[in-house]
Amino acid sequence: MSRAIRRTPAAKVGITVAVIALLIFALFPAYWMVSTALDGKAASRGSQLLPQSLTLKNFSTVINDGGFGHYLRNSLLVAVITVVLSAMVALLASVAVARFRFRFRTSVVVMILIVQMVPLEALVIPLFLQMRQYHALNSLLALSVVYLAFSLPFGIWMMRGFVAAVPKEIEEAAYVDGAGWWRMFFSVLLPLVAPGLVATSVFSFITAWNEFIFALTFMSDDSKYTATVGLQKFFGQNTAEWGPIMAASTLLSLPVVIFFTVVQRRLAQGLTSGAVKG
Amino acid sequence: MPDPHQIVAAPAAARPGGGIPGSSRAPRRVPLGVSFGRGVRPWLLLAPALIVLALLLVWPLIRVGQLSLQDYGLEQIVSGKDNYIGFENYTELLSDPLLWRTVLPNTVVFALVCVVGTVALGTLVALLLNLLGPAWKWICSTAVMIAWAVPALTGTYVWVWLFDPFDGLMSKVFAGLGLIDPATSNWFTDRVGFYSIAALNVIHQGFPFVAITIMAGLTTIPRELHEAAEIDGAGAGKRFWSITVPMLRPVFAVVTILSTIWDFKVFTQIYLMPGGSGGNDDVLNLGVWSYLESFAQGSYGKGSAIAVLLTVILLLITGVYLRTLFKEREL
Repeated sequence: MSRAIRRTPAAKVGITVAVIALLIFALFPAYWMVSTALDGKAASRGSQLLPQSLTLKNFSTVINDGGFGHYLRNSLLVAVITVVLSAMVALLASVAVARFRFRFRTSVVVMILIVQMVPLEALVIPLFLQMRQYHALNSLLALSVVYLAFSLPFGIWMMRGFVAAVPKEIEEAAYVDGAGWWRMFFSVLLPLVAPGLVATSVFSFITAWNEFIFALTFMSDDSKYTATVGLQKFFGQNTAEWGPIMAASTLLSLPVVIFFTVVQRRLAQGLTSGAVKG
Repeated sequence: MPDPHQIVAAPAAARPGGGIPGSSRAPRRVPLGVSFGRGVRPWLLLAPALIVLALLLVWPLIRVGQLSLQDYGLEQIVSGKDNYIGFENYTELLSDPLLWRTVLPNTVVFALVCVVGTVALGTLVALLLNLLGPAWKWICSTAVMIAWAVPALTGTYVWVWLFDPFDGLMSKVFAGLGLIDPATSNWFTDRVGFYSIAALNVIHQGFPFVAITIMAGLTTIPRELHEAAEIDGAGAGKRFWSITVPMLRPVFAVVTILSTIWDFKVFTQIYLMPGGSGGNDDVLNLGVWSYLESFAQGSYGKGSAIAVLLTVILLLITGVYLRTLFKEREL
């Protein structure tokens, strides 16, 4: 590493300071969330950087008294339905745009990109009215189907990169060996794009798990709240119970943070191959 | 790019290991099923996606346009009947001083500040990560990923807690330094204070995408370019502006435009802050205003008109985005 050797001491100090600043800025909010959740006297914490007493009391409060476990289960159910549906639908569509040349192909790709930009605030009004008409408010399945629509454009866009990365020759070899298209799809293409499918599924899981506006608008029945909506229960009229709120926030964030960092390289890869270099 | 089925024959002939007797027959003919599905198959594959997108994204978008031309309230919800009034919602909206003095400036200035902050910080972090050895690079990029992964909703609650006027860390620190009077000051009631905290939140969540994307882009720049420039006496700043920026122009364009789109339609991060859900008119942005007009005031028509305005702004930015993409390569 010739570059490293040429570095002056001043540059080294500068880099070290920058790394420390980055780590603090990136991680401090997450640290503050978890440490407040573990703090027995969270309300009077003030500027204490370390929790004054370690306890799981806040967690048991939100799960047992607040019913947050039930909300988390609702969120999980909605997210899993969304993931399963969107993985199937996005994969099929991405194969179409990555592997076939057909009339209006470019129009379809452009349309997929455009609908991705539509603000949720514009969709929530008509979808609320529609769902109300069909008596589908307070339905976890209806909510999942809406989330499917939101995660599809990005899912297709990302899967497209993964499908395009599979060499055509491998497909052709399958045809030569006598496989039909569907046989080739299931035995050759599907296993090869499976890592991409995992990354895409993580993305749609996160979309569904984090979503707030639609869950807030559609779900009026307490037993159907997802975790993002249920969390609001811990806010009083003018007060906030920060210990329980941070405990619930930690429970809500944990799966996302774990999933996301585990597949981070793959996701970054998918982002660059699908959305940036494509 | 050639048709996938046209090239079936050629490379297969050159396939290694084709030593099975009589295998030279194989490349001659495309399997029946393959040629049959040629015109229909892509549409078959696209059908589920197109149906879902049409029903849940395109139709609602048409519907919100229709609603924006109506006086649509509780009565219409119950009866399910349309009630067209022409462009009245739009004339009312465009002559509303709240739009021009508060909502539009909040939305636009906030988006600008966040985009500049996100892209600048993301670029600096990418350059920093690029200087580090593998171990520290892994540690720092994982930290950046965690900042990215924390959901907007919980992230917002943490920032609100940090700036809580009674017990928040920042309030205590600033009061300790004598910069604020803890008894009287509340950052959230002041428009600038409110949006500064929101900007901190949005930039904190947005810079990782920029950093990771630009870092991926940096690896595509040949190191020789930098070394040659260094030998010619170019400093780090000169090399950044003369090599990195022009080489990564397309990447910068994409992250800037995507950030612009995301920061224009910020909802959760504003709505969940104290006063953000209707308690304080000074801090409304287009998205929150549209939502409150509809669901809190019950005027779905006017809410839709605001939503249409936001959508049109975003579509214009999207148009620029697509033109950038098309310029760089074939879609």
